[in-house]
Amino acid sequence: MSNQPVSRPNSPTGSAKTDLAITVVLIAIAIALPFFVDSRYVMGQIVLALFYATIASQWNLLFGFSGIFSLAQMAIFAFGGYATAMICFYFGWNVWAAVVPGAVGAMIFSLAVGLACLRLTGVYVALLTLAIAQTMYQLIVTDTECFTMVGSICRQFTGGAVGFARFGELGTRALLKGQWLVGNYAIVATLFAITMLFTYAIIKSPIGLAFRALKDNPGYAVARGVNRFQAQLLVFGISAFFTGLAGGFYAAHFQAIGPGILSMSQLMFIIAVVVVGGVGTFWGPLVGTVILVAADELMREAGEFRTFGLGIIIALSIILMPKGLVGRLGDLVRWSRKRGQAAHREKLAESPAPAGE
Amino acid sequence: MLQGVIGAGAAGTLLANINSTARAQDTTPIPVGSALPMSGFAAADGIEFKNGLDLAAEEINAAGGILGRPIEIHVEDTKEMGADIVSQAMQRLIDRFSTPVLMNGYNVGTNMIEMDIAADNDVIMMHYNTLISHNEKFKTDPDRYYGCFQGDPPEYWYGPGCLNFLKTLSEGDKWKAPNKKIAIIPSANEYSIVIANAIRDKATEYGFEISLFETVPFPTNQWGPTLAKLRQDPPAAIIVTHFLPQDLAQFMVQFLAQPINSLVYMQYGPSLPAFREIGGEAVNGVIYSTVVGCLPDDFSKPFREAYRAKFGPNSAYITGSQTYDGLWMWAIAAAIAGGPSEPFNKEQTQKVAAALRRNVYRGVNGTYRADPAGQSTYCYPTQVADPSLGMPHQFLQHQDYKTDPKLIAPALYATDSFVLPPWFK
Repeated sequence: MSNQPVSRPNSPTGSAKTDLAITVVLIAIAIALPFFVDSRYVMGQIVLALFYATIASQWNLLFGFSGIFSLAQMAIFAFGGYATAMICFYFGWNVWAAVVPGAVGAMIFSLAVGLACLRLTGVYVALLTLAIAQTMYQLIVTDTECFTMVGSICRQFTGGAVGFARFGELGTRALLKGQWLVGNYAIVATLFAITMLFTYAIIKSPIGLAFRALKDNPGYAVARGVNRFQAQLLVFGISAFFTGLAGGFYAAHFQAIGPGILSMSQLMFIIAVVVVGGVGTFWGPLVGTVILVAADELMREAGEFRTFGLGIIIALSIILMPKGLVGRLGDLVRWSRKRGQAAHREKLAESPAPAGE
Repeated sequence: MLQGVIGAGAAGTLLANINSTARAQDTTPIPVGSALPMSGFAAADGIEFKNGLDLAAEEINAAGGILGRPIEIHVEDTKEMGADIVSQAMQRLIDRFSTPVLMNGYNVGTNMIEMDIAADNDVIMMHYNTLISHNEKFKTDPDRYYGCFQGDPPEYWYGPGCLNFLKTLSEGDKWKAPNKKIAIIPSANEYSIVIANAIRDKATEYGFEISLFETVPFPTNQWGPTLAKLRQDPPAAIIVTHFLPQDLAQFMVQFLAQPINSLVYMQYGPSLPAFREIGGEAVNGVIYSTVVGCLPDDFSKPFREAYRAKFGPNSAYITGSQTYDGLWMWAIAAAIAGGPSEPFNKEQTQKVAAALRRNVYRGVNGTYRADPAGQSTYCYPTQVADPSLGMPHQFLQHQDYKTDPKLIAPALYATDSFVLPPWFK
């Protein structure tokens, strides 16, 4: 999203119009996709990409728009997934009833993380949040105490190294039979759309401006009356709610959640998505997801060069496009506009209006 | 009704006979899918699983394929594994190649999601995850999971099998247990923990007590803190249920810096060449067991020789043998059923599954016979007393790191006797 000055009060700006046009096109593509995609695999990858884009958009809200370099994003996602799975597993709830409490749980967890980070900045936030995520991983995988028996299998309270499986599903299998994946796609696409809508509303609101002010110049922002305590907790809470909600739906979609979701490679992929797409840009996480998921697919046959190829893309992106693809596109648009205006001025100067007109 | 009893040597002849009577009008290749960890920490095993498939496919095709149609292997990498990656890999194989069967090796951390992919697409899925959760999931809906088979016994049988082995050994004259203590060291993964829990829960029944139960991270090579605890209170036997060969070799290297008079039993990893290569002389004396692996007998000799001739002297036929047997079993079942089927052809896939349930197959790993309650292989001798109806739970010992380990139990299959480890004083 570009930061163009407001041209006229109470009317959409140029960037808002562009955003609206992109949204309409994306909704049309999203509706048309199931009619063109036959492969379950491709549909499954699109669902997975939508999860990545949702997580990345919320990390972008935290880091790109608010300047908080948290590495607990996958831990919050996992918290939402685990909370949903555990509510269903231990209390027999329907997945649909469990996802919102799961997201609220993730939000509370994130607020605690936010409180712990309140007096820290920069790399220290990254270190603390990474430590929290790693502690969570270790606590889960080293949990071997038998909490309950499932058939002849001993199950740990946290699911241990195995995690949880078959605790419930979204109900699309019973409803749509063979087309259940399209149903899940519709659910996850709606979740992504709602998340993006809320994110847009937040970054356009005074709260969003406060986030950005704190990122750009914390001292000046506080001096002008922005409450850092409130703003930081708010951004941790909002981003965690949607991240946790995505975690719950992820667990329900795959009918499984395990500690592997907390691995460093998953976290790095999300960060790479935002960096390639454009840190601090609204459409960056979506563009980054499309590029990296597509590149990963295209390089599938390249064997061991696949990971190398992804690394090259990320490295080139950082060197050639520090603002990401969306940031670079924004620069191009601004440059072409300026050029157009300059050419127009030159034209006017070269051919002055005839006298008498 | 007759149950087919098929041996690996006879399998080629049987398949060739079926093929000779079939009128091979359709000669299009049959795609066989396999979701294997070709990169990441389990890549060494993934490569061997693929080798096993390649060798079996070559032999099956030489015998005329399945009703005249040759087999074509397609592999998808499951990298670090986990439910999402493995399910995507399997779905991709089905969508891209229309594979009627998915012949996997093992994948960890999947919560047996493989069974859902097979059920949703009506394909046969055979794997060697060695998990009791396969049986538990099958029991929840046998009609849905009709096409899912575990080619080896679940890991649960390692527990009672190991305790029975130690008890029998202590009753003999080769090893006198200094006490009744055993120390159990699992790592944080399902396979290791289920085995460790099974040993812990049954220990008192076999007259043992647990002196240490410590879970280590997965993977790990820092054994110092665990070894310090073991040296403080030496048990009669140390049971490490972690399974990665490089980590287990490191355990032995660090253990021998200050050894104690305890037997060392490990899980799976010592069966792989990497264990001997990394540990060297330090691995002499280590006991391990496996519920699936190529038997060192005359029957499997042609396979072992063909495997090493094709894939090199350091290749691990003990791992490749699993998918090798699996593919042969499926090929015969598909030929008997009249064809391999294809995704979403439930009727034909059910016929292939029925043949896999009924056939008893003597492969290079021993006998495959599906337990109808869980569609996993029966385990001999802890689950069934008849060796012709169950896969042997083999106990082996590294006696000279320069040569292959020796099979010391069960007695019917043993080629050598137990030797007291060199670190005993």
